[in-house]
Amino acid sequence: MASFSTRVFSGLKYVVSAALIFSAAALLAFGPRAGEEVPKNCVVVDYWEKWTGEEEAAMRQIVDDFNSTVGRDKHIFVRYLSTSNIEQKTLVAAAAGVPPDVAGLYNQDIPQFGAMNSLEPLEDMAVERGITADKYKKVFWDEGHYDGHLYGLVSTAYDIALYYNKSIYSEGASALRARGLDPERAPGTIAELDEYAHTLDRIDPSGRIILAGYIPAEPGWYINYTCIWFGGSWWNDGEHKFTFTDPGVLRAYNWINSYSKRLGPKAVAEFQSGFGAIDTPTNPFLAPTVAMVQHGTFFARFIHHLKPSMDGQWAAAPFPSYDPKLRDVTYCNCDVLVIPRGSKHKHEAFEFIAFVNRQDEMEKLANLHCKISPLAKVSEGFLDHHNNPYIRVFDALAASPNAHPTEPVPILPEVNDELNDFTQRLALQQVTPEEGLRQVQERLQQKYDDFIADQLRRKAMEH
Amino acid sequence: MARLHSETRAVLRGLAFLSPWLVGFIAFTLVPIALSLYYSFCDYSLLQPPLYKGLTNYHLLVHDAVFWKALGNTAIYALMALPLGMLVALGVAMLLNVKIRGLTIYRTVIFLPSLVPTAASAMLWLWLFNAKLGLINVGLRAIGVANPPGWLTDVRWSMPALVLMSFWGIGNTVIIYLAGLQDVPRELYEAASIDGASTLRQIWHVTLPSISPVIFFNLIMGIIGTLQVFATPYIMTGGGPARSTYFYTMYLYDNAFSYLKMGYASAMAWIQLLIVLALTALAAWSSKKWVHYSGN
Repeated sequence: MASFSTRVFSGLKYVVSAALIFSAAALLAFGPRAGEEVPKNCVVVDYWEKWTGEEEAAMRQIVDDFNSTVGRDKHIFVRYLSTSNIEQKTLVAAAAGVPPDVAGLYNQDIPQFGAMNSLEPLEDMAVERGITADKYKKVFWDEGHYDGHLYGLVSTAYDIALYYNKSIYSEGASALRARGLDPERAPGTIAELDEYAHTLDRIDPSGRIILAGYIPAEPGWYINYTCIWFGGSWWNDGEHKFTFTDPGVLRAYNWINSYSKRLGPKAVAEFQSGFGAIDTPTNPFLAPTVAMVQHGTFFARFIHHLKPSMDGQWAAAPFPSYDPKLRDVTYCNCDVLVIPRGSKHKHEAFEFIAFVNRQDEMEKLANLHCKISPLAKVSEGFLDHHNNPYIRVFDALAASPNAHPTEPVPILPEVNDELNDFTQRLALQQVTPEEGLRQVQERLQQKYDDFIADQLRRKAMEH
Repeated sequence: MARLHSETRAVLRGLAFLSPWLVGFIAFTLVPIALSLYYSFCDYSLLQPPLYKGLTNYHLLVHDAVFWKALGNTAIYALMALPLGMLVALGVAMLLNVKIRGLTIYRTVIFLPSLVPTAASAMLWLWLFNAKLGLINVGLRAIGVANPPGWLTDVRWSMPALVLMSFWGIGNTVIIYLAGLQDVPRELYEAASIDGASTLRQIWHVTLPSISPVIFFNLIMGIIGTLQVFATPYIMTGGGPARSTYFYTMYLYDNAFSYLKMGYASAMAWIQLLIVLALTALAAWSSKKWVHYSGN
């Protein structure tokens, strides 16, 4: 005869089993469903993108445009997924053999992923659809290439200019005029920029910075490319060598260093610690605690959204160069659409990429993101109704022969980390520009040579 | 024979019940550990098949200045945060062991911060340590410190700032100490008191020996924890300024997921494991001299 506890346990077993079966059935019946309904007989193209918020919504409009036109006609459905850390997730998915069909990476991922043979070359499919170099501003066509292959086409693009606060210029007008500077325009050379900055600086008696005319580290996103405004470059693509000891690069870092020296490293560090991020009203240009900043086309959207009262109180102009003869210099950056190796629907995926690169869709997306069009041909309507009132300045800069792309170096993340560390040490006056650049050159060239040696060894073994 | 058959069936039944964990352990822990050892001898990016290169990764690590910098930073952090953290936690636990009014409230207040997600507490401390607007420096200026530290923007203060912040999460350690303290027999204190021992002597001769197994446990957990510090500095400083808070695990992560050098990162992981093992073994060896178990 079974004991009481055995009978209780036996009964409990049935109750627990029934509860589990009931929960599973309820989950199946009422549980979460896929967000989108995929039309029947369609090839589903999975598209992963990095954007969130307004930028994500903007791209969703383009995806919807595709699905309701070309996609409907050709039986292709793009399933759009917004995800953070896109490059890492694409990497892991590709390694697992289940990559998305289209990934929205950063332009700097192209050399790294391209060198590791993990992206599908697009040149043949591009030619089939008439997508050729002449359709693009040269710099953005170049951004999609690595080692002679086209690995990505641009989805959104921007370039860099000088934003300046006209109200602060007006307040400092007499001081600027006293130094022979025109408060109605932006500085034309680096020497002038220094003069403007120095004149507009407000320092309290204890040495604390109240307002800075300019500081190279704000926002500092493009500081690693400062040398292009000094006629230098830290990469020789022909010889595959870093050139950090190039005189132009040294001039640039001496200039960056001059601000820390003049204002004091501790004062600058303390001043910067009060800065908010780009998407907050405590952003120093909006606060306003910095009169001039180097920023991308999209910055106008943040100014308008976060501080509409500043509309009309700022302007944008080409960032000045060291040499007055070197005009319209800019650094260009972009987001790219790529097809990771292992994608199951390459041709359908490229159909979508080609759609995004149509002039009408590209301009629609560019305006929603407040960016420029990477295409050579730009409509007047786009320029007239753009959300950045200085879009013509940015568009002309990107089309300039002095527009500079991201360097096609497959170890870019290491380059960026090394340069960021060096720039911080420079700001703290821990190292001289000469010594720091020599160290950076030595370390990075060694890393690059090791990387190439490994790739060559790998190729030799494959053959 | 029948008995053997029934024992085998029992073992199989046991393994069947164990299988969800066993399969998970083998697939998601044991195999990755074994593979990471193999990858540490390879050039491996995840995107391409691993390419065997012998001890090259270990050789490169020995000559990598950033590796030594990160290792040095981690050692300094561990040397500062571990003993200080253990002392503060023990001190707080002793205070919470005294019978006073509102004790449960104090205990809750001490434990609560350890429930705050790392990212949230990092953001909070980021503002507290803000050199210009932070509450700490505003307070210091208010009491007459003209030039308070730059904290996270100053290479000399960034590490102490992170150590200071680590005390925020001592709640768990305090709870473990508290459990140990409440296990100390009352009669030992009474006997010590009758013998004329002062409070300090009672702590030294009664409390500490009695809770030495708990101290040992917290020491081991602390060694492992401080040598793996990652999330807080990753969010708060990104390793800066000038790599002054760039820790070992951060460099490992960067190598794995930013530079796509999985082989190099695997070699780092194995070195880290060996360091943790060596320190744990050292602590275990030394414990024979200072850890007293009640049964002994």
